[in-house]
Amino acid sequence: MAGQIKRMLDQIVEKRAKGNTLIANLTTTKLMLKGINPEKYNASSPDDPAVISRVRTVAKELGVSI
Amino acid sequence: MNISIACSNDPAQCVAQLKRGSAAVPKLVLFFASSKLDIGSAERVLHESYPQSELIGCSTAGEISSGSMTEGMIVAMAIPEDYIDQAAATYIENPGDPAEVAKATAAIEAVLSQPILGLDPSSYVGIVIVDGLSGAEERLMEKLGDLTDVPFIGGSAGDDLAFRKTWVSLRGISHDHGAVIAVLHAPKGYQIVKTQSFRTTGKRLIATAVNEATRTVVEFDRQPAADAYAAALGVSVSELPALFMRHPLGLMMGLEPFVRSPQRISGTSVIFYCNMREGAELEVLDSTDIVADTEAALAAQSPTTAAGLINFHCILRTLELRAENRCQEYGQLFAGVPTVGFSTYGEEYMGHMNQTSTMLLFPGA
Repeated sequence: MAGQIKRMLDQIVEKRAKGNTLIANLTTTKLMLKGINPEKYNASSPDDPAVISRVRTVAKELGVSI
Repeated sequence: MNISIACSNDPAQCVAQLKRGSAAVPKLVLFFASSKLDIGSAERVLHESYPQSELIGCSTAGEISSGSMTEGMIVAMAIPEDYIDQAAATYIENPGDPAEVAKATAAIEAVLSQPILGLDPSSYVGIVIVDGLSGAEERLMEKLGDLTDVPFIGGSAGDDLAFRKTWVSLRGISHDHGAVIAVLHAPKGYQIVKTQSFRTTGKRLIATAVNEATRTVVEFDRQPAADAYAAALGVSVSELPALFMRHPLGLMMGLEPFVRSPQRISGTSVIFYCNMREGAELEVLDSTDIVADTEAALAAQSPTTAAGLINFHCILRTLELRAENRCQEYGQLFAGVPTVGFSTYGEEYMGHMNQTSTMLLFPGA
């Protein structure tokens, strides 16, 4: 399977930003500073369980349910 | 009313200068004072002069005011309601404790009478001033970023390179540890400038083993960190420390580096002024011209029309400017704008970083 990480990251940004472009950009920077570079993941990225687990933790920290 | 500034080694003179140009009751008064001065006296005089204003400040490793960089002075700024019409500040005794940070933001919510998560980041901005010897900046900034979309900008307090004790101050009371955070509403908006003077070299290092708590990288690319860093620069490990300031590492956000500056080698590990996540991909950077780059960054923000500017300026940049005898040249970049700032032990914007200036600008008419 592939692409789950990108989908999860997109969900975090969308749910946090709620359509606000400024908040979307700020959230992307926060993800990067938390150690997850959204630019690294695309629809073909393997579903690495360790990264998926980390993304779930980050989502929880940001108060976003995914 | 205008934003007014002051620069003196005498707190009473600072107040006199501030009162010449600003409202009787500014919404916010900021001060940055050399640790060589009596911080308690400075904050007391300012607090007695502005009892109804939010008053925050800290100790420095050098100061900046319009047109000059100084040492051994107090710089202060009074910001009237035209530019900040709400200001809520609080002290955090242990900024590395997420629960304390959450409690602090709850206190701010109570003052603002609205949830901090719902604040509009286009008109609300945060200022953070933290004990520069706490080592807690990353945890503080991350928790603030979790709790709110308001961007926080600021710096780590200094003590004129003594590295013994720094001070943060709120409403006339100083603390030799902790942090002060403030959330401000800027009815005319604000701009943030984050500038650093580096280009990428195209050489990358991946932090494969780290100790985040001690800001230590044990391994880059599964090799001893010092060996891998030196190899990336084509030098021996013994030559590496001399190149630290010129070649720090950058966590890249597109083309924008968040600079991580190495402090020293410990065994085969490298200790930084900022922590690194395991797995972080970092670019080896090469320094460029601080004055020219800052001038360009300011020009991009039209600062000539700015009504006020607060500059959180890394002490490592100050040391480089001092070594090149270019402090006055740097200070002159701000000659046309009411400016205060200080040389920090770390800069904050979204996260914690090094060898950077983070600036908050209030647009003019």
